[in-house]
Amino acid sequence: MDPGDHITALACRGVAKAFPGDVLALDGLDLDVPRGAFFGLLGPNGAGKTTLIRSIVGLTRPDGGHIEVFGRRTDGATAAESRRLIGYAPQDAGLDRFVTVRRVLELHGRYFGMTRGDAAARTDELLEVFDLADKATVLPNRLSGGMKRRLVLARALVHRPPLVILDEPTAGVDIELRLDLWQYIRRLHADGTTILLTTHYLEEAEALCERVAFIRAGRIAAQGEPPELISRFGAERLEDVYLRLVGR
Amino acid sequence: MNGGGDLRRGQWLGVLALVEREVVRRVVRLWPQTIAPQVTASALFVVVFGLALGNSIRTVGGVPYEQFIVPGLTLMGVATAAFANNATTLFQARSDGFIEDPVSSPMTPAQLAVAYTSGGVIRGLVIGLLTLGAARVFVAFPLRHPAAFLLALLLAALAFSGLGTVVGLYSRSWELQSFVGSLVIQPLVFLGGVFYSVQSLDAPWEAVSHLDPILYMVEAGRYGLLGRADVDPWISFGVSGGLAALMLAWSWWLFERGEGLRT
Repeated sequence: MDPGDHITALACRGVAKAFPGDVLALDGLDLDVPRGAFFGLLGPNGAGKTTLIRSIVGLTRPDGGHIEVFGRRTDGATAAESRRLIGYAPQDAGLDRFVTVRRVLELHGRYFGMTRGDAAARTDELLEVFDLADKATVLPNRLSGGMKRRLVLARALVHRPPLVILDEPTAGVDIELRLDLWQYIRRLHADGTTILLTTHYLEEAEALCERVAFIRAGRIAAQGEPPELISRFGAERLEDVYLRLVGR
Repeated sequence: MNGGGDLRRGQWLGVLALVEREVVRRVVRLWPQTIAPQVTASALFVVVFGLALGNSIRTVGGVPYEQFIVPGLTLMGVATAAFANNATTLFQARSDGFIEDPVSSPMTPAQLAVAYTSGGVIRGLVIGLLTLGAARVFVAFPLRHPAAFLLALLLAALAFSGLGTVVGLYSRSWELQSFVGSLVIQPLVFLGGVFYSVQSLDAPWEAVSHLDPILYMVEAGRYGLLGRADVDPWISFGVSGGLAALMLAWSWWLFERGEGLRT
């Protein structure tokens, strides 16, 4: 998939979103994610991370501002074009329980415009990479939690998107699976894919991300490379930066 | 797209995949739940009402009673299947969250509407044709105007597939689907002249029956299959087409708005 020659994978300009009950989830948020970056989006629960991600992938409609993915706005005439450049692995994975693991992957590829043959070949490849080949004919609700996580990540990659958005991919998984997932994600990044990752595990962000942004009350409170942020805040670890930003 | 194809072609490949998911992966694979019960129920109606009551009600408007009820039963099967299909599949996909996969794909809202509508229409037509086949085992009937009959089935399938989509997108629980299915569609179907001629009703009930939109669908089907109807076929097809257009427009508007799909 050709994202063109834009040097910015993701640009958010003044993105605002309020929910009923005067809940301001995003408050004119600005963010740039360079092409090829491994970018971490950090913040407490309710800070606006998931609303921002859902706005990027088209599942939430911002009230104001706009978002561009490789130069294509996610609203209006280029919305469809922007969506095919994104692979999204949600935290609460909705997996189609009426079709097998293989079909979950194949159908995703075809929803994103792949031919039946291309989707099948890519599915075979991903089933191997994510150690799911022996579960190909099983329904997703028969998988363990860890296998479901791998399937969700694999699903996001079927159509070879140049921007992959991972919402808490390792939340609640055991350390072995977490390391496996880190390995998959690192390999993906090494292949040139831009990664936007949200996580509650700050050591994960420190280990994986080249650049992080802290989101608080719907705005970016601080951003930079982890060592730079640690030094700027006179902290020892990213966790200390986080605690200062949330006022503790 | 992946391999250089263009966006528009890719979007329609997505629509085909979603239709396949709806029809082959869901309706056909789950046939004991999605097809068999409705065809069996319709066949039982033919046996019980047609053959048993047919002995005491010989003819309606010159048509043997067992023949008279076949078009209405077929239309009833189409309508209830198309409605249930879309109301169920959309609510289930929303409730489980897997609808986000096609919704976040490059398919446009209108294309999503086409895909889901097609799923309901195909299931409705399959049920209708199987009902007709099952009825044929017990009752010999003519097929006077095949194209008109198929058009009547198609319009009913489109209208109720659209209504199912509307309910599937608005629902916050299973209750709305159950309410509309049991307390709106079923009474309208039974009062829509499936089992009797509305001309046999006294005033004001005959006039009231003409407010029931399903009457026109049944009469359109009756004209197509038996070549006779209580309502002018132009009016029947006009009302059926209008209802189908209204339901499709409503369902497409909900997809455009992102009702139940986007926050």
